[in-house]
Amino acid sequence: MTRTANQTGNRYPLLALTGVSRSYGPLQALKPVDLMVLPGQCIALLGVNGSGKSTLLRIAAGRDTPTAGRVSYRGQPLREDALIARAEIAVAGEASSTYPDLTVREHLMLVAVAHGGGAQAPGLVDRTLAECRLSDHGNALPGSLSSGQRQALQLAAVLVRPRRVLILDEPEQRLDPGARKWLAGLLVREKAAGAAVLLATHHVELAEAVADEAVVLLDGEVIGRGTPDQALSRVQ
Amino acid sequence: MTAEAPAIERADSTDETIRLLRELRRTHARKQAADLAFWLYLAAFAIFSYGGWLVAAIVRALRRPPPPIADTPMLLRAAPGGLAALALLVLVVLLWDAGWRGPVVIAQPTADWLLDTPIRRDRLLRPRYRASVLKLILAGAATGLVPAALLLAAGLGGSGLGDSLRLAGVAMLNTGLLAGFGAGVAAWAEAHSYSRLRLATPLGLLAAIALAGLAALTAALGLPAAIGTVLLWSGPWGWAAQAPVALAGGSATLWPAATLLLGLAAAAAITLGDRAAADVPAAVLRARAHTLGHMSAAVFNMDVRRVTTAYRSATGTYGRARLRIRPPLSRQLVLVWRDLTALLRAPSRLAWSALLALASVALGALAVRAPHADLLPLAGALILGYLAAAGLCEGARLDGDDPRRSAQLPFRYDTLAQLHAIVPCLALAVLAGGPAAVLTIITGHARLLILVALTIAVLVGGALVNSFRGQLEGEMFEGFDTPLGNSSGVTITLWYVTGPLLAVGPMIILWYKAINAGPASLAIPETVLSAALAAWLFHITAGRARRLKTG
Repeated sequence: MTRTANQTGNRYPLLALTGVSRSYGPLQALKPVDLMVLPGQCIALLGVNGSGKSTLLRIAAGRDTPTAGRVSYRGQPLREDALIARAEIAVAGEASSTYPDLTVREHLMLVAVAHGGGAQAPGLVDRTLAECRLSDHGNALPGSLSSGQRQALQLAAVLVRPRRVLILDEPEQRLDPGARKWLAGLLVREKAAGAAVLLATHHVELAEAVADEAVVLLDGEVIGRGTPDQALSRVQ
Repeated sequence: MTAEAPAIERADSTDETIRLLRELRRTHARKQAADLAFWLYLAAFAIFSYGGWLVAAIVRALRRPPPPIADTPMLLRAAPGGLAALALLVLVVLLWDAGWRGPVVIAQPTADWLLDTPIRRDRLLRPRYRASVLKLILAGAATGLVPAALLLAAGLGGSGLGDSLRLAGVAMLNTGLLAGFGAGVAAWAEAHSYSRLRLATPLGLLAAIALAGLAALTAALGLPAAIGTVLLWSGPWGWAAQAPVALAGGSATLWPAATLLLGLAAAAAITLGDRAAADVPAAVLRARAHTLGHMSAAVFNMDVRRVTTAYRSATGTYGRARLRIRPPLSRQLVLVWRDLTALLRAPSRLAWSALLALASVALGALAVRAPHADLLPLAGALILGYLAAAGLCEGARLDGDDPRRSAQLPFRYDTLAQLHAIVPCLALAVLAGGPAAVLTIITGHARLLILVALTIAVLVGGALVNSFRGQLEGEMFEGFDTPLGNSSGVTITLWYVTGPLLAVGPMIILWYKAINAGPASLAIPETVLSAALAAWLFHITAGRARRLKTG
């Protein structure tokens, strides 16, 4: 699918995937897909386990190379190692290990400082901890956190840094209903701030609350797309 | 169109980040240094407490090197090829290591928390690379003691302490330089042609075997000395071998030039590696860090199975061949079909088993030479045979790892455990029985063939006992205190070696006695006892399987 300038609402796409597919030996995990993510837009990928959502996200983050097709960021071919990708694309969701001897606050400090937080880093970390409901656990070791709190830590790690694109793989996992509501609000604020959000989720309510466009995948193939309501009704 | 979203402006905070990380982890680094010092102390204490005799023997050998023996001239002829093969082996090990781990390696949390930040990769990766190079050079230098010791033992160590130390010194220097060269090449390959590295390892191994074969031929047939000269100039492995060959009395007059060449090559490779270290892709670094994380956890839990699984996942050595065998019509044959398919789809495992079986038969042939059996070759033959059998029991191990995997099969779990013996027994009959039959035809002595035939079921039985041992339980780590220390070490070792101990131990005794009883002693008692032992091992396997099933 190719979008014209008008269709993109007169905004340059940040991330563009054109005819991207991925095969592992004889298994085609992702059939050719086009995707264009604009600033302030959220695209939700929906589908059952093994439908190709995470594969598509990894490719969009530059962490996997497509078998065919092209991925570009700001019009240039995307490379995970490129400085601009590291500075602007924030990825959360892949199983993340932690330093066993560093506290939650120290982990976030490290990320904030690495992204040029400088003197503002401590304040930024405190605000992020508060936003992610981790203020009481700032001095705890990550090993002592519950699974939901660890998920919140992963989200905090992307919020404590500057970003133009947010790539989130099932961020609602292990979050309680209250935290899921908070997550939806957070993503809406991110969009309002101009960030592009690419989100894989099993939670239709979350997609409906935040996504401008939904892409439904099954066996690596797009079987529906449009607004979340349209996409889901087509599939049904 | 409206303006493009502006790029995020940021100052380079690499130094600040690395300083912060170092500061935050200072306590951890101190603890690591203290742990290392403790282990070094413990190793030194153990060497001087329990290995005092060994240290004394080494000092004695250095002061008065053994005199030349009858075979010394022959060994000297073999030295160029043999030492070049050893040096090439060092390089092959480094290339193999680079294929899944490599000299540029970072901790898993660093990969997860810092790789996708915009800090400069060279400041993050080069210190790791340099530390790896230093460690590899030290390890390489220590490896140099092996050829030095071999030359000393062969009576080629000169006449006094000075000669011995000089020989050991140049051997250590040259293997250290060779390791530095290998580390640099490995880092470069990690950054540039990662996939080709996998091809380099088996090719290097084949070349090392060819060099060793050439060395043996040179020694046995007295091939022209020019061949040795060509080998010594064939590459860094040959340059590394020249100084020890020269000091041992061989022909390598230009060894200072070769050492200089090796030094220059090592310096160039290390510099090249240093530049390349910053370019190792994040995906490679992340994958390797995760593999090492999994491996460390598995080693910490003493779970050998998980270590090999993590290694195979990293190197992609799982079932590359996509061979299909038509499913059987009879459901009774489904397990045999599955085991056979698994075996044929992992040709490397089959090849290793074939190699081990061949080595086992060769040692077995050496052991059963009438009129007296040698204990060491016999034990070696049975141990290698066990390893070959264990390699063929992968299907059993998979079912042993997770009893749910075979829940749909039309067998009781304990019966299924025993049925897993069919394919390994048949495969071993071909892999070991074939070469044994050939040797029997050539020599006219059937004893080796009888040994192989009677041992197969026992060895497979032992491998099955181990396959169905279940998970290592946490309680085993606790053990109980005895006057000789905590029992957990012995318990865990026994947990791992029960199968080979029960299979190989009795067979060594049985066959050692039978062979020494003379050629008139025929195999009837051995047949009965071997069959009884195999039946007992299958019985234990079934018992273990029942315990696994009931949890």
